[in-house]
Amino acid sequence: MPDSTINRAAQKDALFPLQRLQAYAQGLPVDRLPCVPIVGNTAARVLGVTVSSLRNNGKILADAQIASYRRFGYDNIRVFTDLYTIAEGMGAQIRVPEDETAFLAEPAIQNVSGISGLRPVDPCRDGVLPEQIEAVKRVVQEVGNEVPVTAALTCPFTNASFLIGAVNLSRLVLKDPASVHHLCKLSLESALAYAEAIFNAGGTPSLTDAMSSSSVISPKQFEEFSYPYLKTLVDYIHSKSRSATLHICGKTSPIWDKMADTGADCISIDNDANLLDAKKKIGHRVRLMGNVHPSAIMLQGTPQDIRREVCKCVIAAHDNPKGFVVASGCSLPTETPFENIDAMLDAVREIGYPVSVGLLEEIVNNS
Amino acid sequence: MSDNKEQTFFTALSDAVLDMDEVKVEEIAHRVIKEKIDAYRAIENGLVDGMNRAGQLFEDEEYFIPEILLCSDAMYAGLNILNPYINREQQRTRKKVVIGVVEGDTHDIGKNLVKTLLDAAGFEVVDLGRDVPPAQIVNAAIAEHADVIALSTLMTTTMDGMASVIKILQESGHRDAVKVIVGGGPISQSFADRIGADGYAPSAPAAVKLLHKLFKDSIYA
Ligand code: B12
Repeated sequence: MPDSTINRAAQKDALFPLQRLQAYAQGLPVDRLPCVPIVGNTAARVLGVTVSSLRNNGKILADAQIASYRRFGYDNIRVFTDLYTIAEGMGAQIRVPEDETAFLAEPAIQNVSGISGLRPVDPCRDGVLPEQIEAVKRVVQEVGNEVPVTAALTCPFTNASFLIGAVNLSRLVLKDPASVHHLCKLSLESALAYAEAIFNAGGTPSLTDAMSSSSVISPKQFEEFSYPYLKTLVDYIHSKSRSATLHICGKTSPIWDKMADTGADCISIDNDANLLDAKKKIGHRVRLMGNVHPSAIMLQGTPQDIRREVCKCVIAAHDNPKGFVVASGCSLPTETPFENIDAMLDAVREIGYPVSVGLLEEIVNNS
Repeated sequence: MSDNKEQTFFTALSDAVLDMDEVKVEEIAHRVIKEKIDAYRAIENGLVDGMNRAGQLFEDEEYFIPEILLCSDAMYAGLNILNPYINREQQRTRKKVVIGVVEGDTHDIGKNLVKTLLDAAGFEVVDLGRDVPPAQIVNAAIAEHADVIALSTLMTTTMDGMASVIKILQESGHRDAVKVIVGGGPISQSFADRIGADGYAPSAPAAVKLLHKLFKDSIYA
């Protein structure tokens, strides 16, 4: 284990994340529940650089993620700047504001006639992917022996929406399913290539698929256009003997079973979903991760609010048969106050393990 | 023409919109013209009725975004055929809505639904798209002589853009000329009240009801 004097937050914890996660998975005693406030571009604030400086510079991105991990002491590093890195490599135009998260300016193609011109990415060459991979490599070198290092991977259906536009894709779902599959297959090829590069850098892909949300498409459409591609990705991750985390935001309760059927080991849900219900429905099959509101609570709340909300989540899911990770429902807004992220971890430390529900209910009732 | 026969056409139009059947809508719309059925009523009691039913199924989580988009395509296909046959008196100027997603936010699925249902409900909608700076929204509203500004955002971090729009309206002396309604995930009635908006609605069908309420059911200027 590395020298803990350089790890500020680790001084507050008895175990390093990898030790904690391993013990927790085996049902052995741990100091506290695993905890992951999903830090993305907030890492730029920790390092004191602009958001745009992270995206295409492996060294700065790695330094920011390492600094943030050391500052807060959470249980998983996720290299993530925005959802569009693969689509950009395939021709989508991305706008990169100086100090805010990048976003999609124009999809790669305007209609299905453009599909034949699309090619899967080469992660060693296209767009910002080489630098994102470089970041994974550096983070793994620096702290990979104490904390899991993952990199966000935008899944095929969501990536397809960046290739042809979300509204276009939604229409094609009913009008031209073959073209949707075509776009998803190209996106899958890209995703697999990028996943391989992440593995080669020593990291693990972390799956994210916003457009597959039941806020957008029906459970039946999920089954046809999202599920098969997610399953292929999960199988690939398992072939490398790593565990797979799948995040879908918005409403997800109608597709929980299917999400578990992908084989994912951990499912990350947001505040539009109910942890207690998820535990009852799929808790015997998958670990759950969530779901403190990233904006209403983590961004806008006080440390007191966060303590209360963490307690509520823990009451709901601490006894999830396959385990529970206290987390934000989705990646945190860039300007989330540091003291709120500290508050999440401090609450989890205060709660400790094993969990005493009576104590937590008192905290919730008194706040 | 008997009311009964008319009603059969209206119901068929409404059903075809609900079934996302663009071809059938066009077919029936052409027959409506041939049979000299009132085009205006065919729009209101047929096309718009179908779109309203689709909106209800969306609220009930039976329809999702793809279905709603195809229902609206079918509705527009019918409108294209029937609109030229509406007579002059019926073509009263409609209330005009300028709609957009505020700066910094590119989520536009919800905005598109609101736009479609307002359109279906008889409003004239000018779509400014997504990631639109506050000043540009105000300028467009003034240039278009809009009655309503409809603002959408799904991100907490961009909500302040809505307050900016209202502030610019106030400072430029245009606040009373236009109603401002707001919506999207993080928006609530209390937020709308706080920034001085005229209304908030949690869904696209509710946005239609909101505007009817604000204009006391007379959506025609
Ligand atoms: C699909 C989706 C995406 C798609 C959007 C595709 C598109 N072209 O729109 C993609 C993948 C691109 C995306 C990107 C991002 N997303 Co997103 N996304 C979603 C998701 C899953 C569903 C949104 C949706 O379309 N819903 C369906 C529509 C129909 O619902 P709706 O928009 O709410 O609209 C209805 C009502 O709100 C209302 N309404 C809407 N507008 C208006 C306006 C008026 C005037 C009125 C009256 C009513 C009204 O009527 C609509 C219809 O009934 C939500 C999850 C959620 N909980 O909502 C996250 C969510 C909105 N995304 C979020 C985030 C953070 C992002 C990203 C920043 C992620 C990132 N780190 O890169 C980027 C945004 C980049 C940017 N700057 O814009 C967060 C926002 C958090 C917050 N409160 O700040 C959410 C809530 C997820 C979460 N739990 O954290 N996302």
